[in-house]
Amino acid sequence: MVMWGLYVDSVLGALPSGSAALMVTVLLTPAAAAAFVAVTRRKRLAEAATLISALLVVLQVAGLAAGVVAGTRVSGFGEFLSLDALGALVMIPIAGVGFVAALYSVNYMGRQYERGIVDDRHIVRYYAGFNVFILTMMVVPLANNTGLMWVAIEATTLISVFLIMLYTTEGAIEAAWKYLIVATVGLSLALFGIILFSYAYSTAAPTSSGSAMNWTGMAADARMLDPAIVKVAFVFVLVGLGTKAGLAPMHTWLPDAHGEAPSPVSALLSGVLLNCAIYGVLRFNIIASGTLGPSFPSELMIGLGLLSMGIAAASVYFAKDMKRMLAYSSVEHMGIISLAVGFGGFVGLFAALFHIINHATAKPLMFFASGTVSQRFGTKTMSEIRGVIKVMPFTGALLLVGGLAIVGMPPFNIFASEFLALTSGFAGGQFMAASAMILLLVLVFAGFIRQLVPMVFGSPSSDRSAPLGSTERKDDMGMLAVLPMVILATIVVVLGFYMPQPLQTLIRDAVHVIQGVPSS
Amino acid sequence: MTTLLTDLITLSAAGLLIATFGVVVRRSFVGWVSAYRYQSVVLAASTAVVGYSTGFWDIYAAALLTLVVKAEVIPRLLVRVTSGVEGGLKMEANPYVSIRLSVLVSALLVALSYAMVGQILASAKLDALAQAYLPVSVSLFFIGLFAMVSRRTALNQVVGLLIIENGLFLFTTALTRGVSLIIEVGILADALVGVVISAALLTRMSRTFDTMDTGSLEKLKDD
Repeated sequence: MVMWGLYVDSVLGALPSGSAALMVTVLLTPAAAAAFVAVTRRKRLAEAATLISALLVVLQVAGLAAGVVAGTRVSGFGEFLSLDALGALVMIPIAGVGFVAALYSVNYMGRQYERGIVDDRHIVRYYAGFNVFILTMMVVPLANNTGLMWVAIEATTLISVFLIMLYTTEGAIEAAWKYLIVATVGLSLALFGIILFSYAYSTAAPTSSGSAMNWTGMAADARMLDPAIVKVAFVFVLVGLGTKAGLAPMHTWLPDAHGEAPSPVSALLSGVLLNCAIYGVLRFNIIASGTLGPSFPSELMIGLGLLSMGIAAASVYFAKDMKRMLAYSSVEHMGIISLAVGFGGFVGLFAALFHIINHATAKPLMFFASGTVSQRFGTKTMSEIRGVIKVMPFTGALLLVGGLAIVGMPPFNIFASEFLALTSGFAGGQFMAASAMILLLVLVFAGFIRQLVPMVFGSPSSDRSAPLGSTERKDDMGMLAVLPMVILATIVVVLGFYMPQPLQTLIRDAVHVIQGVPSS
Repeated sequence: MTTLLTDLITLSAAGLLIATFGVVVRRSFVGWVSAYRYQSVVLAASTAVVGYSTGFWDIYAAALLTLVVKAEVIPRLLVRVTSGVEGGLKMEANPYVSIRLSVLVSALLVALSYAMVGQILASAKLDALAQAYLPVSVSLFFIGLFAMVSRRTALNQVVGLLIIENGLFLFTTALTRGVSLIIEVGILADALVGVVISAALLTRMSRTFDTMDTGSLEKLKDD
C-alpha cells in the first residue's frame, strides 16, 4: 500500500499543475473529439462533438491567455511545452477561428451532404480530420522544443492534405499533391535549419543540461552562437517555413490548396495555419537577430515581404476564381506581416502581430462568404457571380465588409495595422520599401475591388438556374451560415477603432518577447 | 577514437552513398523500392554506429525503429499501393533526364555537397561523426530533390521525398547526438503518415486521371 501511495504521489508530482495542466487538456480536447467522431461514425454526433470540443478549446485558451496576460509564462514537462505572449497571440486565433469554422461547417458540409457531393464516410473523415487539424496547429505555439514544433508543423501539412483530398475531383487531387510535395520539401529545408540552430547552441553552451533544442535556451544564449552557422541556419528556416507561410516565390502551392479545399478548411488554412508558419519564422528571427544583429534578418524579411506583395498584386488582378483570388490576397498579407517584422522597432513589430490577428478575422470571413455564395450560385468563377446583395442580402453585406476590410479600407481593422506598419517603415528610414508597399497596396486594392463590386452590386442574371431554385428568391442559406460571419465581421469592425486592454497588453508583451525585453 | 570506429563511420557513410546511387540507376518502381530498402538498412546501421560512438542507448532505439519502419513497413506499403494500380509495377520511368545523365548529375551533386559543407561549416569545429555524415546527408537531400524533378511519375516524387527524409534523419542523428529521440520518433511518424497519405492520393490519382504522370497535373492555373 505504501509503495502504491508513493507511486501515485510521484506520478502526481510529475504532472504539471494549474495552467500547465490546461496546456495538456487543451490538446486532449480535440484529440478526444476526433477519437469520438472516428468511433461513433454518425453525422449528427460528429457535428455536436466538434462544436463542443471547439467551444471547450476556446474557453481553455481564454484561460491560458488570461494567465499569460497577467504576466506568467506557462511551461510544463520540463520546458518541453511553454506558452508566452507571442505563443498566446497565435493560439487565440486558432481557437477562435476553429470555433467559427466548426459552426460554419455544420451548415456548409451539411449542404454538400444534401447535394450528394459528400457521403457519410466523407463527413466522418471531415470532422475527425478537422479536430486533428486544430490539435496539430495548437501544438505549434505550445512547443518550446523546436524539434517538436517542426514535427507539429509537418503534421499540419499532412492532415490538411487529408482534408483537401476529401473531394475526389481532379482539381482537389492536383492541389493536394502539389501541396504535399512542395510543403514537405520546404519543411525538410526548415528542419535542416532548425538542426543547425540546435547544433550551434549545443556547441556554444555544452554544459546546458536541458534539451539542446529548446527555444528558450537558444534565445537566451543567442549571443554565444557561431554567427557563420546561424546565418546559414536562418536562411534555411526562412525558406522552409516561408514555403509553408506562403511567402513568394515559394507560394506556388497555396492558391491551389486554398482554392480547392472545402471552404471552412480554406478559412483555417488561410486564417490561422499560415500564422503558425510565420510564428516559426518569428521565433528563429529572434535568435538570429540576437546572434547576427537585426540588419541581416530584417533585410531578408523585407525582401521576401515586398516580393510576396508584388506577386500577389499581379495574381489578384488576373485571378478568375473567387477563392484563388482570396488565396493570393493571403500571400499579400503574409508579405505585409513579413515586411512589418523587417521594419522592426516597437511599432513595426506591434503592427505585424496586430496584422496577424486582423488577417485571421477578415480572411475567414471572406472564405465563409465565398463558400456560401459559391454554393448558392453553383460556381466559383467571379464573372458568373453577380448581384450577391440582391439575392443574399446578409451575405452580400458581409462579403462587402470583409472585402473592404481585406483591401485595407478604413475604418476596418486591417487598415489600422497596415497604417502602423507604414508608419514604422517611414520612421525607421525605410523610405523605398515603405513607398513600394503603398504602391502595391493600391494595386491590390484596384485588382480586388474591380472583382468585388460587380459581384456584390451587379444585376443577377435570371436565366441561370442555381442549384437551389431560382436566384430571384432571397435566401441567405440559413442562420448557421450567417452567424459565424456576423461574429467575425463584428470583430473586424470593432478592432478597427477599439483595441481591448488585454489584447493591447498581450501584443505589447509579445513585442517584448521578440525584442528580448524581460516581461514586466 | 579508435581506428575501428573511424573505419566503421567511413564505411557506413560510403555505403549510404552507394545505396543512394542504387535508386538513381533503377528503372522500375520495384527497383526503387528495393534500393530504398537497402538504403534504409544502411541508414539504420549508420545510426547504430552513431549510438556506439556516443554511447547513448536511445540512438539504438532510433536505429531499430528506422529498421522496422523504413526497411519494412514503408516499402511494403508502397508495393501494395502500386499493385492495386493497373500495370503499376512495370511502370517505365520515362524520365526527363536519362539514367546515364542522372548518374553523372548525382555524382556532381555529391561533389557539390562535400564542397558546400566544407565551405559553410569551415569555421565550425566538426567531430569525426559530423565530418563523415554531414556531406552524405546533404548529398542525399540533393539527390532526392533531383530524383523528384528529373522523372515523371508521381511515385518518383514519393521516393525522392523518402530519400530526402533519410538524409534529414542522418543529419539529425549526426548533429544532435540522441538528445532528441522523441523528435526522431516524431520525424519517423510524420514520414510514415506522409507515405500513407500519399499512397491514398496516388490510388485516387490513378483512378481519376488513369495515369501517374505528374505532367497531367496542370489544370489549376489562372489564365
